[in-house]
Amino acid sequence: MRLGFPVKVLGQPGLKSHDTRRWQNHPHLSVSLAYLRDVFLYLDRQDIRMYRMAADLAPYVSHPDLPRFRYQIDDCATELSALGAMAKSYDLRLSFHLQLSTVLNALDEAIALQAAQLITAQAMILDGMKLGDEAVVVTHVGGVYGDKGTALDRFAARYDLLPDRAGRRLALENDDKRFSVADIMWVHRRTGLPLVFDYLHFQNHNPEGMRLMEALQVCLDSWPQNVRPKIHFSSPRTGMRVIERTGPQDERRDPMMRAPRPHQHADFIDPFEFVDFLRKVKTIDLPEFDFMLEAKAKDLAVLQLREHLTRFAPGAMYWGSNG
Amino acid sequence: MAEVQEPVTRQQWRVLVAVLNSYRDFEVAREEGWYRIPLRRAPTRVGADYLAFYQTSVFGEERWAVNYYAPVRRYHIVSRRSLLPGEPNHPRADDLYYRIEIGSLRRLPRSIPSLRLRRITFIPTTLERLFGAEEINDLWCGTQDEEQLWRAFKERGLAAERRYPLTEGDEQRTADFALLCKKGRVAVCVDTEPAIRNVKVVREHPLISEYEARALGWAILRLDSSDIAGPEAACLRTIVELAERLGGVAAPPSS
Repeated sequence: MRLGFPVKVLGQPGLKSHDTRRWQNHPHLSVSLAYLRDVFLYLDRQDIRMYRMAADLAPYVSHPDLPRFRYQIDDCATELSALGAMAKSYDLRLSFHLQLSTVLNALDEAIALQAAQLITAQAMILDGMKLGDEAVVVTHVGGVYGDKGTALDRFAARYDLLPDRAGRRLALENDDKRFSVADIMWVHRRTGLPLVFDYLHFQNHNPEGMRLMEALQVCLDSWPQNVRPKIHFSSPRTGMRVIERTGPQDERRDPMMRAPRPHQHADFIDPFEFVDFLRKVKTIDLPEFDFMLEAKAKDLAVLQLREHLTRFAPGAMYWGSNG
Repeated sequence: MAEVQEPVTRQQWRVLVAVLNSYRDFEVAREEGWYRIPLRRAPTRVGADYLAFYQTSVFGEERWAVNYYAPVRRYHIVSRRSLLPGEPNHPRADDLYYRIEIGSLRRLPRSIPSLRLRRITFIPTTLERLFGAEEINDLWCGTQDEEQLWRAFKERGLAAERRYPLTEGDEQRTADFALLCKKGRVAVCVDTEPAIRNVKVVREHPLISEYEARALGWAILRLDSSDIAGPEAACLRTIVELAERLGGVAAPPSS
């Protein structure tokens, strides 16, 4: 079982996830790949074998007004291949996750087209790295726009229009407000897309009242036989939030205290909740899968959870044990 | 489209300080706009928004200092043969290199000298530090504890060296700080976690064992956060006493 984290490295200062320069300063995918190489070395030092790459890895690649950024992926064939070989040698499972602003089922055709271009670009990066089918581009369904059924239909129809190489890499995740596990199951039946089960989203949005293990199982079963599924796991935030407020003229006001909301991600993973989940998983016959931990402390949350598992549930990390 | 000057105080711009040890390489950087790093000897941090250049002894008045920097445009991975077509029979002609394309060289507002003329390989730093550094050792970015100790050394006028190599080769070990005294050498290793103190992160630069350091002729001091905490680093007196027993820190040759 792998434990991974998204994008930003917190454990060592100065490790950037990608080239963040503005378009005027000539950012380039190859610079992002050099940063990523440094991150891979860090991941190997920490024995972390799963990582989500930055959605902006190829800067401005699908920007409609900046066509000169479109050819970066082809330009970087050698560098992508070298980095992919490095990832393979580290047994590193890689993925992308589209940002919330990338909406394949948008009413606006231009927004949908840009989403399709970005999915294609990310799939091309994974192909360029010569990664196996475990390396996916994860997305949400998108917006409801007043009619959930039509919104789901539109997502499926737009998926059908994606180039093969893009469609092959896409995976669909349940969200915490609009599209539940039952909704994405519909998309899976219609399109064959593999489903990424998100634990916290499921707890927040499960209008059909599905049981936890039932929802997990249908998502895991949606993956092809020879591809190891993955899920997203995070704990809800329980600490107080401090909101910095500014007045009408940017006049600073006193900070305001707010109770946490259940959809907000905690900094770290609750080890008891995680162990409890693992124990439930092991009571039924499920395929092995990997965990993308979506905690705000990123890699530090992975490192801390590993320590906690060693302490509270030794052996829990291994399938088939009694952890 | 016109290039926009980024504000130079932004902390997040990463800089890799690399070495220029020949006029030919300087000309290649200035006229052809590229620099090379062999893949097999590349440092743990290669990615950068800017390259800066430490010039070695061959550069006359500009020697032993960082004087120039340039924005990074593109990283290529190429063989030495295609990089230097005039040397097709070189024994490492098939070796792979990073060919880093850069924009035009810009002169720093002030030179950053190496006071001890030490051998430099690569220094990952930030643009903010590049513009604020008085000498090479100001460039290294350490953990919070290392930075606190470095400030304490500077306030006390102790001419320490940062990230000083104790061994050579692939398994290079470094001291976080080295005090080069008249009658001996002190290695100070700060054994604290880089980010959050109670989450164990494997260090980027492995610590040398006490036995190995002593065998190499170094007196070694290992410190943790509690040694360094407080308005004045509690360990400073111990370090000063040890340096004084070894005749005091030798003045840098260029001071």
